[in-house]
Amino acid sequence: MNVPEVVEYVKGLPDIVHAERNLFTCSEEGISAIKKGIKGHNLNRVIVASCTPRTHEPLFRAACEEAGLNKYLFEFVNIRDQCSWVHMREPEKATQKAKDLIRMGVAKARLLEPLEEVETPVIPSCMVMGGGVVGMSAALNLAEQGFEVHLVEKGKGLGGTLLDLYKLFPTNEQASKLVESAIQKVAAQSKIKAYLSTRVKDVRGFIGNFEVVLDQDGKESEIKVGTIIVAIGAEELKPVHQYGYGKFPNVVTQLELEQRMKKGEFEGQNVVMINCVGARIPERTYCSRFCCMTAVKNATLIRESNPASKVWILHRDLMAYGEDFENYYRWSMEQGVRFIRYDREKPPQVIGDGTAEKVRVWHQLRGREIELPADMVVLTTPLIPRADNEEISKMLKVPLSEQGFFLEAHVKLMPLEFATEGIYICGSARWPTEIAEGVAQAYGAAAKAAIPMRRGYVKPEAITSYVNEDLCGGCGICFEMCPYSAIEIKAENGKRVAHCITALCKGCGTCGAACPSGAISMNHFTDEQILAQIAALTA
Amino acid sequence: MSRGNGHKSVLVIGGGIAGIQASLDLANMGLQVYLVEKSPSIGGRMAQLDKTFPTNDCAMCILAPKMIEASSHANIELYTYSEAEEVSGEVGNFRVKIRKRSPFVDWSKCTGCGLCEEGCPVILPNEFDQGLGKRKAIFVLFPQAVPKKYVIDKREERPCKAACKDACPAHTNVLGYIKLIAEGEFEEAYKLIRDTNPLPAVCGRICYAPCEEVCNRGQLDEPMAIRDLKRFAADHVNIEELELPTITKTGKKVAIVGSGPAGLAAANDLAIKGYGVTVFEALPEPGGMLRVGIPEYRLPKEVLRKEIGYIQKLGVEIRTGVRVGKDITLEEIRKEYGAIFIGTGAHGGMRLGVEGEDLSGVMEGISFLRVVNLRGKAEVGKRTAVIGGGNTAVDCARTAKRLGAEEVRIVYRRSRAEMPASAEEVAAVEEEGIGIELLTTPTRFFSENGRLARMECIRMKLGEPDASGRPRPIPIEGSEFTTPVDTVIAALGQVPETEFVTELGISLSPRGTIGIDPKTRATNIEGVFAGGDVVTGPAFVIDAIAAGQKAARSIDCYLKREPVAVEEEERVPEKLSEEEVADRQKRYPSQKRVKMREEPTQERVKDFREVSLAYTPEEAIEEASRCLAGLIEGCIECHECEKRCEAKALVYTMQDEHVEVDVGAIILATGLDLYDVSPLTEYGYGKIKNVITALEYERLTAASGPTFGELRRPSDEKIPENIAFIQCVGSRDFRHKTYCSAVCCMHATKEAMLAYEHHPGTKSTIFYIDMRAVGKGFQEYIARAQEEYNVTYIRSRPGKIEVTPENDNPIIWYEDTTTSETKKFETELVILCQAMIPRNEEAAKILGVSLDDCGFVEIPDKIFHPLDTARSGIFACGYAHSPRDIPDSVTQASGAAARVAEVLAGGS
Repeated sequence: MNVPEVVEYVKGLPDIVHAERNLFTCSEEGISAIKKGIKGHNLNRVIVASCTPRTHEPLFRAACEEAGLNKYLFEFVNIRDQCSWVHMREPEKATQKAKDLIRMGVAKARLLEPLEEVETPVIPSCMVMGGGVVGMSAALNLAEQGFEVHLVEKGKGLGGTLLDLYKLFPTNEQASKLVESAIQKVAAQSKIKAYLSTRVKDVRGFIGNFEVVLDQDGKESEIKVGTIIVAIGAEELKPVHQYGYGKFPNVVTQLELEQRMKKGEFEGQNVVMINCVGARIPERTYCSRFCCMTAVKNATLIRESNPASKVWILHRDLMAYGEDFENYYRWSMEQGVRFIRYDREKPPQVIGDGTAEKVRVWHQLRGREIELPADMVVLTTPLIPRADNEEISKMLKVPLSEQGFFLEAHVKLMPLEFATEGIYICGSARWPTEIAEGVAQAYGAAAKAAIPMRRGYVKPEAITSYVNEDLCGGCGICFEMCPYSAIEIKAENGKRVAHCITALCKGCGTCGAACPSGAISMNHFTDEQILAQIAALTA
Repeated sequence: MSRGNGHKSVLVIGGGIAGIQASLDLANMGLQVYLVEKSPSIGGRMAQLDKTFPTNDCAMCILAPKMIEASSHANIELYTYSEAEEVSGEVGNFRVKIRKRSPFVDWSKCTGCGLCEEGCPVILPNEFDQGLGKRKAIFVLFPQAVPKKYVIDKREERPCKAACKDACPAHTNVLGYIKLIAEGEFEEAYKLIRDTNPLPAVCGRICYAPCEEVCNRGQLDEPMAIRDLKRFAADHVNIEELELPTITKTGKKVAIVGSGPAGLAAANDLAIKGYGVTVFEALPEPGGMLRVGIPEYRLPKEVLRKEIGYIQKLGVEIRTGVRVGKDITLEEIRKEYGAIFIGTGAHGGMRLGVEGEDLSGVMEGISFLRVVNLRGKAEVGKRTAVIGGGNTAVDCARTAKRLGAEEVRIVYRRSRAEMPASAEEVAAVEEEGIGIELLTTPTRFFSENGRLARMECIRMKLGEPDASGRPRPIPIEGSEFTTPVDTVIAALGQVPETEFVTELGISLSPRGTIGIDPKTRATNIEGVFAGGDVVTGPAFVIDAIAAGQKAARSIDCYLKREPVAVEEEERVPEKLSEEEVADRQKRYPSQKRVKMREEPTQERVKDFREVSLAYTPEEAIEEASRCLAGLIEGCIECHECEKRCEAKALVYTMQDEHVEVDVGAIILATGLDLYDVSPLTEYGYGKIKNVITALEYERLTAASGPTFGELRRPSDEKIPENIAFIQCVGSRDFRHKTYCSAVCCMHATKEAMLAYEHHPGTKSTIFYIDMRAVGKGFQEYIARAQEEYNVTYIRSRPGKIEVTPENDNPIIWYEDTTTSETKKFETELVILCQAMIPRNEEAAKILGVSLDDCGFVEIPDKIFHPLDTARSGIFACGYAHSPRDIPDSVTQASGAAARVAEVLAGGS
């Protein structure tokens, strides 16, 4: 679009003292231009008309604040998302639209009011949901930093999925040994209180002050925490009715194989593993990240323990990403594991009578079908979200992705945080994650949780709703609609009125839109401001 | 004195996204962070990316707020352009010595405005653009750099003393423009010259080149052909189409009397400063002595016209045919203009003072040249004698020859050694068959039929030196002789004509020149300034230009009511010492200067064509490449940036500094380098033009890149419609890097999508081994690439790339690893997804951290302490740790921050 033309236009709008063009407003130069402008022209409102508030609003608000202007006197006109990107191929119309959008922004900015953020204290205590290795790592880190940790595990003991594993990649150490040492550390740490066989029944409150109801085998208790980390892991898909699973006793999943190996119950001369069972298919499009490596690990362990054995891995892409995995993959070939690539269009077939006896597969390079003898068929299946994810997501008011895993606020900017402040996510509950990655994420989530707890207070956004009690009829529609439980209905002087708990309010505006008596307004998005914007557009 | 506190301070090495994220988390936890980054800006590799997968967010949009937050965070101290040099102590109590490299720019003053960069003549490959773009020796890494501060890339001392610049009265940045010519930047060279000299094409022809006399290269073999190179630069730009500077008008007006070099220079500078300038010129054409005193064969009128034309385009009005004192008075001008500059030169001829001087056929030299230059012709007889030994005499003689005189001789009263004309001019005279009669002077002219017919001369001998320092010529009695002659041109010298200034009461020297205050260039009358020959008597063009410029500066101060800025002391041109000469001779082989060719003598005397033929570009580059200053890499210390910097931030003598900090823990986040793929000769990188690397491609698509986001292939700048990516180039390859680089599958997919976004319809083919799309949303991303972005994936192993000579299209020979067939694939552009390697060797050595076989940080406990290095209290994250993408690096960075917080709190 024609930016100089827009700048000239804006200069002519009433109340505009100064308008300028910056090549990169988000650069140091742009930021200092804002500060200089505020001081040099004694400005009382600042508008940036460029990209998106989602990534850049905090930056420009901070610049205003540093120059002595209340940050709520800043207005962002989103030219990038609402204009230049959508009208990429019609620059003239885009130029006109940019003028309209800025004119609207100016109309709103005129009516902006300074708002104060109220400091609320943060309880230096964290609830970690999930007692697997990831949850334990997060708990230990926070406890060592000096915070109180409530480690909540629904199972009978700590350790999670690791308890079922045989040996761990890449060191081939016994999983049980490692998990045992972690459990001991947790036990020895006085700041960690572990709750076994316990479910989180209810969570109320907000960052700094969550009230959590725990249910330990039917016995309820309440704890207060400042932050929450979700580390509840995921579970292995059971491929019922696929490749003879459930039909032949010698068709198992990788996890079942490991359980057998752990108990020393595994025997087998010829083993065929089939990868991507139930993954990377139209019904379940995602790749579970590390299951290829689980297959490679188990295949290698079989070859090691029985050099006379034959182990085939039938795979699609082999996801040995990075350094250790690729080296391990290479080593497994040296150990005699055989790899055969199969095509999704021509999947392998498990053939048998009572038990699986052989696997038939189209060998691409030979251009024909081959048959592999099989004493055991191992199906490599993806991790899938836990069944209770949905319930927990509702309780915590945090979203799930399409696949049912927890959805972080931003994959790169806020990968371990939810949009809801004070709640953090790590491990396979977020996305299938191998152990070391999960532990690193646990530490990362601990860092995020530690930030408000170390500071001791938070300042939630002042963009909240407020109720004009004279107009409120006490109907309770807002109470029903509020997705954050931020509205309470109080009885005052014999009259029912709604009241907004500002610490909980996220400023979504649902209550304001729903209120039949026009009693609810939104700070920073008042009716007057929005009407002024509309008037500016239609003028 | 060291800073920091072991219990509360942390050192983060590496300012890429991982280092930034770790620093922000630590700082937000209330810890003091020292973030050390080797390059001048934080941002790292992510800053080089256009978009990032899997969201296709603009990389800079995500990164810039984080960079700014890091730089403005109260708990983060940034040390960019710095390196940790020594680390001692142990966890909880490390002492770190940080070396801050000298940027040669005082960052507390630098505003990042970029004026310095525009003037810098040293052009280097821009590493930020993977060498595809260029940058200057003074530079910021990229437009959004944090901090936005300039750095001089200075690598070695300049081998010469830049005496040329000191010797030039206008202090033209000689080494700078010669460097630009050597780099093939001819127009830039002209512009740089023009900054200190509004008449480069003129001076490139007729300057007496005092620079060449002192050129240090002359001490080794021969001086640089500085003047000839200047002419070359001027001849290679279209002056008439040169862009004009933006001028902010002041609303004030200045009058200039005389449009010679002094007046033009003053007019030029004042116009650029925003003054309304009017030049009054008595003659019908502008240019003063340049126009009427210099013959066409030395300075073509067209050349002069163009350079004056540019000055006029700056807004200077030249009123020709207006003689001040006659057509308009100084008093009248003074009423209308805020200031006056007088630069009327020295156009008055001197008389011989002998009998018969007024006969028809006897002419005064400067008037003779004026007539020829204005009318293109003048009457000369068959036998012409020119009296005098200066440049004007030579010009008269050569002009007479060209006008058809059969016999031309110069008559000079002293010997050849005393001739003021330059040696090369005298040589040209003799070449053209013009005689020189030395130690001779005319005493009387005789006429026949009212016209000059003979001249009587007397022989001279040399006596004691006179006031001018030259030996006094003494007539030898009785040596008179008579010789037939029909034209005499007396070129004895010129004097200023200054009667017109007396009306204002401007005081004159006894010699008739205008007297000025040498500091302010002001005359005794307020608001009236003067310079050039009218002040000094006859001198050189470049002296007049310098005088005009100095007066312009003074007038500017005067009109702004500011005190006149004290001019810096003139530096005396320095010679190389004997040792230095010996050293330079050892380092640089002797190389003769490239001579300009000339028109053949027989031909050139027939008309007024220009005698010297300009350099060809090849010759100019060859000659320019001899300049000692330009033989070094990086900054040549021409001080152009210093001249332009309004903040006075340049400090060429700045030294590296050391800072010591005490920290309790350290995070290593030094990121990645690109593996050099040229050893993979089968792919032809570096040989086949249309084979590039993935990061090069990224810069070509980036809006801030060298092509501003225009994706064009290197061989013919065509927009490719069909491109191919080859995966695992150097990765998963036991000959190179055994590991999987972990990013390239997704990176290539993103780049293929970008190609389509730039030019819808573009077809991309990705040759891969395994498509390792394991992150959140990655499989869906690949599916989108196939369904919406015309991307095809071929499981294969390419073995060789050839090129089709007709169209430069690469042909990929590959084995289809699903069928074992060998196939070929022609495409327009191939992108090699090269392996990435950790960039941690130096830092690891200093930190005492061990690395594994592949060069990544060794992690003793990979399961429970995946971010802890072998040395307690030191943690690693990002690509230095192991191959990983941005989302994984960011989570690791936060994890490392938590580990730091834990150990600082006393945990293990």
